Amino acid sequence: MSEHEPAIEYPSPDAVAGAPFAPPPGERVPDFTLDRPRDPEWYRRAVFYEVLIRGFQDASGDGTGDIKGLTSRLDYLQWLGIDCIWLLPIYESPLRDGGYDIADYLQILPEYGNIADFVELVEQSHKRGIRIIADLVMNHTSDQHPWFQASRSDPDGPFGDFYVWADDPERYADARIIFVDTETSNWTFDPVRGQYYWHRFFSHQPDLNFENRKVQDAMIEVLKFWLDLGIDGFRLDAVPYLYEREGTNCENLKETHEYLKRIRAEVDAAYPDRVLLAEANQWPADVVEYFGDEETGGNECHMAFHFPLMPRIFMAVRREQRYPISEILAQTPKIPAGCQWGIFLRNHDELTLEMVTDEERDYMYKEYAKDPRMKANIGIRRRLAPLLDNDRNQLELFTALLLSLPGSPVMYYGDEIGMGDNIWLGDRDGVRTPMQWTPDRNGGFSSCDPQRLYLPPVMDPIYGYQALNVEAQQRHQQSLLHWTRRMIEIRKRHPVFGLGAYDELTSSNPSVLAFVREYDAAGTIAAQRLEREYHTPVEHDAADRILCVNNLSRFPQPVELDLRRFMGVTPVECMGGVTFPPIGELPYLLTLPGHGFYWFQLPPAREEHDR
Amino acid sequence: MAIEDALASWLADQRWFAGKGQGLRDLAIVADTQLVAGDPGLRHLILAVSHDTSADYYQVLVGLRHELPGRLEHVRIGPWADGKVAYDALHDAELTKPLLAAIAANTEIGSLRMQALPEASFTTGLDSLVLGAEQSNTSLVFGEESILKVFRRLSPGPNPDLEVTTALARFGSRRVAEPLGWIETRLEGVPTSLAILSRYLRLATEGWTFAATSVRDLYATVSDRAANDQEPGDRGPGDHGTGRARVLAAEAGGDFAGEARRLGTATAEVHADLAAAFGTDQVGASAVAELTERMFRKLDLAVAAVPELAKHVDMITDAYAELARLPGPFPVQRVHGDYHLGQVLRTENGWVVLDFEGEPATPLAQRRARSSPLRDVAGMLRSFDYAARHQLIGRPEQAALNDVARDWVRRNAGAFCAGYAEGGGLDPAANHVLLRALQLDKAVYEVLYEARHRPSWLPIPLDSLAEF
Repeated sequence: MSEHEPAIEYPSPDAVAGAPFAPPPGERVPDFTLDRPRDPEWYRRAVFYEVLIRGFQDASGDGTGDIKGLTSRLDYLQWLGIDCIWLLPIYESPLRDGGYDIADYLQILPEYGNIADFVELVEQSHKRGIRIIADLVMNHTSDQHPWFQASRSDPDGPFGDFYVWADDPERYADARIIFVDTETSNWTFDPVRGQYYWHRFFSHQPDLNFENRKVQDAMIEVLKFWLDLGIDGFRLDAVPYLYEREGTNCENLKETHEYLKRIRAEVDAAYPDRVLLAEANQWPADVVEYFGDEETGGNECHMAFHFPLMPRIFMAVRREQRYPISEILAQTPKIPAGCQWGIFLRNHDELTLEMVTDEERDYMYKEYAKDPRMKANIGIRRRLAPLLDNDRNQLELFTALLLSLPGSPVMYYGDEIGMGDNIWLGDRDGVRTPMQWTPDRNGGFSSCDPQRLYLPPVMDPIYGYQALNVEAQQRHQQSLLHWTRRMIEIRKRHPVFGLGAYDELTSSNPSVLAFVREYDAAGTIAAQRLEREYHTPVEHDAADRILCVNNLSRFPQPVELDLRRFMGVTPVECMGGVTFPPIGELPYLLTLPGHGFYWFQLPPAREEHDR
Repeated sequence: MAIEDALASWLADQRWFAGKGQGLRDLAIVADTQLVAGDPGLRHLILAVSHDTSADYYQVLVGLRHELPGRLEHVRIGPWADGKVAYDALHDAELTKPLLAAIAANTEIGSLRMQALPEASFTTGLDSLVLGAEQSNTSLVFGEESILKVFRRLSPGPNPDLEVTTALARFGSRRVAEPLGWIETRLEGVPTSLAILSRYLRLATEGWTFAATSVRDLYATVSDRAANDQEPGDRGPGDHGTGRARVLAAEAGGDFAGEARRLGTATAEVHADLAAAFGTDQVGASAVAELTERMFRKLDLAVAAVPELAKHVDMITDAYAELARLPGPFPVQRVHGDYHLGQVLRTENGWVVLDFEGEPATPLAQRRARSSPLRDVAGMLRSFDYAARHQLIGRPEQAALNDVARDWVRRNAGAFCAGYAEGGGLDPAANHVLLRALQLDKAVYEVLYEARHRPSWLPIPLDSLAEF
């Protein structure tokens, strides 16, 4: 070590200690499991809810949502049955990329509040049995970040090697340019340092140099800072791009996986029961690498999003046949025992069509983006309800699929009441309008002067907040909100939805997608692994089986299912508890209304009989 | 009552019995092999049935029990010797298990040979279930893994389906269900297939049902649109409620064109594998003359039987004559021979082709002969036509939907042909004279068939001839 070897002063614990209400240095905010039994695989059963703090609830009255506002709405999320809130970036940022351009990893964006507000949010959430995860971008920072400012002005200083610098823009020529609309190269010249810096995304987002051990350590310190504040995990943005290697496309490199393994090990060692959720918009066969090694039950990220499934659900229903879904699930590899897919219908981005063929993309545009304004990048920027013409039957079918297909469902704020969008707003803002709580001013989102709102609320006659809001739907038992709540409740009563194997069933009708979710508690590798790793008995979920039958067509359909392996079982419909005729040797005949679906529990068969 | 009498009266009631209405004159048991002794017991019978004019062979697997449980009552045949009751053993999972085990173990019992393919791997001991009965065979699914197609009516000689699927599977084709084994015997001195075991494609849907989904969606879209047009004040200037005509197949959500294109490509792949496995040839003018000659003969026959066909004769004659003038050479090869939407399955891994037996009514030698691969293309194009038009039968708004039906056929036929050419098949566009004649020939056959067997569907081929 030279004497110039700098101590990494950033992140410094002092930065936090000075903040009001922050816990004393070295003391942690209580873990989620303080008064509860350990639950290391909670994320495999959880229902996630994506919140845009800016758009959820404004407590300060400045027209922009904030952390205190979200905290004040936790009772609602608890009532709805949400297990985990996923926050979009909450950090100090010049907001040139929706907060994904982080200028200070250890500060909250002032519009949202401060660290104390965040700690309060975590505590209040945990009290209600809700966990909190947040977006974190490790690949790059904003060019406003002090690390970058130090790196460009003092190449020999402690941060000189924190970014990827070069004298010419020739290296890594095989890496594609991701934002082709705005960027012409992955290199940009910095006149201050007189060198080029590497960036996979916008030129104002320089990539961190993970070859540098100090960068690796600094990022882990960032994670620990938030973990110490009680956060339950991270959604890791843009993970495939951490490292660069000449002659490769600089994606999914083995060094990236090694670093993720290190993160996982450090998190597991000191912060049990947290979750790492990878964002890698790639084919399932590639994404599966981010779970890590199969034998360990997974030693990189606990979860990853399943991107291609979502457009295929839309395609299958519009085409009235199951193959778009059957196909992608057949191509989805098995994942390690402790891992889970994250699945979703809509989120804060456009409905992305990167993972479909050109032919399918044209089809999706034609069916779901009839106005050119509904498109954004390679996708469709619309909310769920308008995508489905506000058809209650389809909304229910889609939600039922989200809650029953393999993976943990991630709901997007407002979709539980069927909120609309505003295609006249720029970029993806059309799906980021204020949450509609009441028919009052600004939809109950903020008490501010309406002109001050960060975005206008939706005001059209169908989706406007006067007609469509949480308060009205809470009063009305048949509302979409109550229906969604009931479905979440059923899902949570049957952990098999999160833990069980997925097995598509033979069905005589192409418009009907039927599958069984099955979980044999004692026999799973996951259960054995938990016993082994934690040495204490972990409470197992009971064995369970659920049969899901979905009519993807708008017309009533009959279906004959081959259920012989459940012979003697009497199916019980999950919503009403009605028992159906017992399963015999012959194909099981069901009829479904247009866009109808059934969830049946298949309790154990009575002793062999009738044979 | 002799067992033959019981078998005769049972046989006459079966869907796959070919001698319907001809009077069953003589029934003889020409082979009887015990496969399983005891109760329940299993015997394999081959019956020869003489009709007024001809003789047919049938295969019956007879189950024997002292007491017939209720669940087997519906397949009772009648009393057997020793106070036992005979019944159709294909419906008894207890007796089909030994059959599967015998295939796995390469067993020979009497004149029966049960054989598994060398690389085949499948589980025995699974319960079987009879799938819906078909014209000439009955299929059993074991678990969800393998399917045994048992031929009810036997024709002496090897089964072309087994020959073709085995050859294609050897080429590593993903387009056929993997063959696993078979049962055979000797009939009239030649090895004759009795049953074929292959991989069960559990998540598959028949192409016909699949295409019907698309057509149904399209017609409903037209009806919805028409209803909307009738709403007052919802009409722009110059728009006079032509809603029905405005809907195009390309606009309907249930569009099938993507599937049709993939099916075309899969078909081309199967043809390429068939060519590699069984060879190809070129034929010249004399073969074409022979072909058109046959087409003309069929046309004459059909016109004589169905007078409504007369008004299309000139058009058809012109098309055949145009074909006859082509100098050739034309490539020929082994083809499917009876290709339509009912012979293809959509699986979660793409399209799979079934039943390489050729046209059931044709002599075996002719079924195995080489012919133009466009015969299969023509068959599929006619099937698209049926898929669109059969849903119009008996529909009140049939006239209004005709244009839409035609549009659906044109779109999907175009996509199929494009996919076929992309997959390396003979370009249908560049061979339109031959393809057109083959389609007309098929339509003429359909006219004759429908007039005889299903008069309510006769308008399907007739209407499409009117638009050729």
